[in-house]
Amino acid sequence: MSVATPAPLQEQITLLELVDRVLNKGVVLTGDITLSVADVDLVYVGLRVLLASVATLEDAG
Amino acid sequence: MIEAPAAQAWYVYGVVDATTAAPVDDVRLVEHGALAAVVGQVPLADFAEDVLAERLNDRVWLEAHVRAHEDVLMRLAERATVVPFRFGVIYRELGDVTAMLRQRRDELAAALAHVRGRVELGVKAWADRARVEAALGDAPAGGSGGRAYLERRRTEEERAQRATALMTEIAQGAHERLLAAAVEGVANRPQPRELTGREETMILNGAYLVEDGGTALSELLRTLQDEYAPSGVDFELTGPWPPHNFVEPPEDA
Repeated sequence: MSVATPAPLQEQITLLELVDRVLNKGVVLTGDITLSVADVDLVYVGLRVLLASVATLEDAG
Repeated sequence: MIEAPAAQAWYVYGVVDATTAAPVDDVRLVEHGALAAVVGQVPLADFAEDVLAERLNDRVWLEAHVRAHEDVLMRLAERATVVPFRFGVIYRELGDVTAMLRQRRDELAAALAHVRGRVELGVKAWADRARVEAALGDAPAGGSGGRAYLERRRTEEERAQRATALMTEIAQGAHERLLAAAVEGVANRPQPRELTGREETMILNGAYLVEDGGTALSELLRTLQDEYAPSGVDFELTGPWPPHNFVEPPEDA
């Protein structure tokens, strides 16, 4: 998997929008390693904490 | 000292027809019969179960990998029909990928047939509560004193309830009309405000599978926008997306 610079078009798509589709939808198969629902829930918790901290920074600034 | 190469694994982005032309950079096709899995190599350590939860909470790591996943699917979707896999399906050996294609052949072929020539469009509806309430009219009367205060409070509460009911009604009505302009559609749970960071309330988070690039749905969306903007609701179109929402059998199937 290449994690090089994203294309400009992609930059307009918010991370939340991507997480909603890429982590929540699509064919689910049990590979050798598979994301669990609990993992995805953790992402939302993580984003929430992150966004809350960004908001705090903006308020302070 | 020469270090041993890090253990690699095969990350599966999705499935396409085996006839699909050379894939995008850094990925390859693993064929089995009429199907081909689109795979790329990843360091096994990155996705090891004991670190994955931590990685997913690393905003930089998450964003880079989620975007990379979508990027491969988007570039494939430009030239072929693709059945997107969920993030993080990984096999240690290419032989395991082939075995997966063999085992799931029928449902993957059915999923490919279902989304062929179609794209997914996203529609969000945002309600500005203040505008919705204002559009309902009858602003609380003025006046002072205890009685006037209670009266005003009651009117405000009643108006807030009517606004909530109206927002639900608009979301449901819009979804039904959008369904009529699509092959299939789903109303996903609206994203909470704490994640969207917007003042407005998301009242519809729909995804629709459409043909012909979705001309009919786009036109309908303009109609909905004109119709509901005066009530304080705005519509947003996203996509085209790879058909993430339409590759799993319905839950009641």
